[in-house]
Amino acid sequence: MSTTAAPASPISMQRPVSEVPLWRLYLLRAMFLVFVIGGFFAHLPWLFDPDLSRRGMLDCMLVGLWVMSFFGLRYPLQMLPIFIYEFAWKTIWLFTFGLPKWVAGQVDPQLSQDIILIGLGPIVFGLIIPWGYVWRHYLKQPSERWR
Amino acid sequence: MASTAASVLSPLESAAEGEVSLFRLYVLRAMYLVLVVGLGAMIVPEIVSHELTSRGVIPSLLGAVWVLAFLGLRYPLEMLPLLMFEFAWKLIWMVAYGLPQWSAGQFPPTFAEDFFNIAFGAILLVVIPWGYVWRRFVKRPGTRWH
Repeated sequence: MSTTAAPASPISMQRPVSEVPLWRLYLLRAMFLVFVIGGFFAHLPWLFDPDLSRRGMLDCMLVGLWVMSFFGLRYPLQMLPIFIYEFAWKTIWLFTFGLPKWVAGQVDPQLSQDIILIGLGPIVFGLIIPWGYVWRHYLKQPSERWR
Repeated sequence: MASTAASVLSPLESAAEGEVSLFRLYVLRAMYLVLVVGLGAMIVPEIVSHELTSRGVIPSLLGAVWVLAFLGLRYPLEMLPLLMFEFAWKLIWMVAYGLPQWSAGQFPPTFAEDFFNIAFGAILLVVIPWGYVWRRFVKRPGTRWH
């Protein structure tokens, strides 16, 4: 049946129901919840009274992730690109900025803080993200239609 | 046939991709391509060669947008959260920083460049298929809880 239906239905709709175990969905939701709750304390205070002498870009990108995490509570799999993104930027930072600085002995309080808050990200998100699903869904799956 | 097929699909997968026109898929892909080429040209050199002292958080954040934009070329709808994120943070920046800084005449040295680059994000208003976003990321029943 599914093979008969396949040509009529888009490729991305052909995935079976339980590709990801329920505990994994809860794990993803728990992480999104950490974002949601953390964001109230980290972002709301300045959001209503921003310091206009600041560049503000970093703050706003983090708020953007905070906003996305609300969607993640409801749709943890659909919002996986947000966690893949978290994994990606923290990995980029660790290998191109954090570690080289650390190896060069340029450790200051900012780096010590960043190493924990950002540098641990690849490990944390590496454990939370269902990589098998990511592989099947975002790499192996045929591309969305071109014509 | 379609309804039989839908019964074996998760709620996540059951919305018809055909809800979005082919034209829109190309618009989305063009946007991802702009990120791959434009953002890449801007940010990759900064990541590859930079001062050892630089904190590097903003280049890393933008660098990851660049990396994920490649996936968007292949899966423009699946990667919509990336564009939603882009739109969200740029809108927030405009409201919280850009416009107040502009009207107050008080801004950091990076202001002009940031304002231009971030204002370009307004294009996402017409690129993102909002009807689809509404149906898929708001109205659709949430992923299973039990």
